[in-house]
Amino acid sequence: MRDIIKMLVVLTVICTASGFSLALVHDVTREPIEYSRLKFVKEPAVKAVLSGYQNDPIKDRLSIPVGTDKKGKPVKLIVFPAKKDGKTFAVAFESSSAGYHGDVGVMLGVDLNSKKLTGLSIVSHTETPGLGARIIEPNFTDSFKGKPMDKELGVGDINALSGATVSTKGVVAAVNKAQATLDKYRDKMVQ
Amino acid sequence: MSITREFTKGLWEILPPFRLVLGLCPTLAVTTSAENGMGMGLATTFVLVCSNLLVSLLRKIIPSKVRIAAYVVIIASFVVIVELMMQAYAFPLYQALGIFIPLIVVNCIILGRAEAFAGKNGPVASIADGLGVGIGFTISLAVLGAFRELIGSGTVWGNSVFWESFEPFTFMVRAPGAFVALGLFLAAINLISSKLDDRKRRAQS
Amino acid sequence: MSFGDYMLFIVSAILVNNILLAKFLGNCPFLGVSKRMDTATGMSMAVIFVMVMAGMITWLVQYYILVPLNIEYLQTIAFILVIAALVQLVEIVMAKSLPALYRALGIFLPLITTNCAVLGVAIININEEFDFVDTLVFSLASAVGYSLALILFAGIRERFMLTKMPKAFQGTSIGLVVAGFLALAFSGFSGLVGGH
Repeated sequence: MRDIIKMLVVLTVICTASGFSLALVHDVTREPIEYSRLKFVKEPAVKAVLSGYQNDPIKDRLSIPVGTDKKGKPVKLIVFPAKKDGKTFAVAFESSSAGYHGDVGVMLGVDLNSKKLTGLSIVSHTETPGLGARIIEPNFTDSFKGKPMDKELGVGDINALSGATVSTKGVVAAVNKAQATLDKYRDKMVQ
Repeated sequence: MSITREFTKGLWEILPPFRLVLGLCPTLAVTTSAENGMGMGLATTFVLVCSNLLVSLLRKIIPSKVRIAAYVVIIASFVVIVELMMQAYAFPLYQALGIFIPLIVVNCIILGRAEAFAGKNGPVASIADGLGVGIGFTISLAVLGAFRELIGSGTVWGNSVFWESFEPFTFMVRAPGAFVALGLFLAAINLISSKLDDRKRRAQS
Repeated sequence: MSFGDYMLFIVSAILVNNILLAKFLGNCPFLGVSKRMDTATGMSMAVIFVMVMAGMITWLVQYYILVPLNIEYLQTIAFILVIAALVQLVEIVMAKSLPALYRALGIFLPLITTNCAVLGVAIININEEFDFVDTLVFSLASAVGYSLALILFAGIRERFMLTKMPKAFQGTSIGLVVAGFLALAFSGFSGLVGGH
């Protein structure tokens, strides 16, 4: 009996100590990890949709509250500003909508003066390889450049993918969702 | 055995993964370049040294029946620490090594050394053992990675080495090439060690 | 996913992205166990069972415990504990109810805990954001692919035991070179699924 108690105690102590140290390390590394993630995963997307800026859009990023989720926790949108002479002339932010197989995440760049898209990049998706996954091809994403953000975008306005209508519609829906976000929070984005 | 001896045996006698045939999964997967090989080796060495030390310090307290479970918790904790630190401070390496970082926890080398050595020896010797085996592993990975990178992509540590028209033997950086390269290296090491054994035997007679 | 999609998915997991020959998971036992056909078959059975069960349980742990409590960073440690416990449980149950099989598998059963393929597949299920059914299918297909590679390999190696070869190559080294060519053969399958 004593043996079993000893085994349980030792294992419990080791697990608890492990839990504590891991929680500690997790806390310490939380900020550097967020920055790293943004720098290495989002930065390529941000760079693909914005150009001609003099600042570091990642460093100057803004975190705008855009409502609350089902549990009442505030949802934040990260906006990457492109500045010239200290003034924001374009912003990049993410939007998403349902594709064929899960959500499709996109990064859009919008010129605030002309209200046109400066670029679109697919950030995440789980679409079918060879079909819906072709939304990442430049032929598709480039066709979004220069499209207006103050008019609803339709599938006919861009190079839709044949055989992947649902995926295409998903990306277009994500853009239209972003239009609503832009209208609502435009002032906050230009801080 | 002296402390230096504990350290050096990891560099040849029980050099992983060639003489101590363990830890093959990461070896095959991450040695596509010298840099990745070295990165994985260093991460594994960190976990190995830390777990060896902790296991050695606790060896008299952990009941024998649950020692494997306890070792697994200890090793897994250090692997999570490495995962978090890598994401925070070396993100590109984290992306390159991918799924093989959490897989360090099932790297038989670490559990093997905990069971075979750290569980029965003092902390200083265990550190030396961990360092030796870990550094040996790192060197093996870096060399194998450099070989595959040189022949498979024509670069060394990311820098182009060959002339413009050199067509790299891409086979080497793909799956089949990994197996073949490792097999060739292993055969070479076997050859070298048998020659060394012969020489030792002749010197003694 | 439609039935056709599932078939594609399964073929891909077994042949094209073979968990062992393409993804490099599960190599340690591969080179140690595959020397004989009967041990290879025994190991395969055990791996299929553990991989499927582990895949399902770790999926549940991820989505019902780790995510709700916001402790996803503990994934590695949670998963390996689940696998170790599962293997232990399987050993105990098998020793009592299927003793012949238990003896036949021998030491291979506990060794499955450190088989990177099991933990690897569990992690892939989460990374690829599979739902529960996809996880089940993928785990099963991956395990079948692993077994296929293992058994093929054992068959080849049994032949090799009878061949003369330089001492340096004997054992694991020639095993690796052969595995390389087996991997090459399997990589030919990538044409099957189109556009990889």
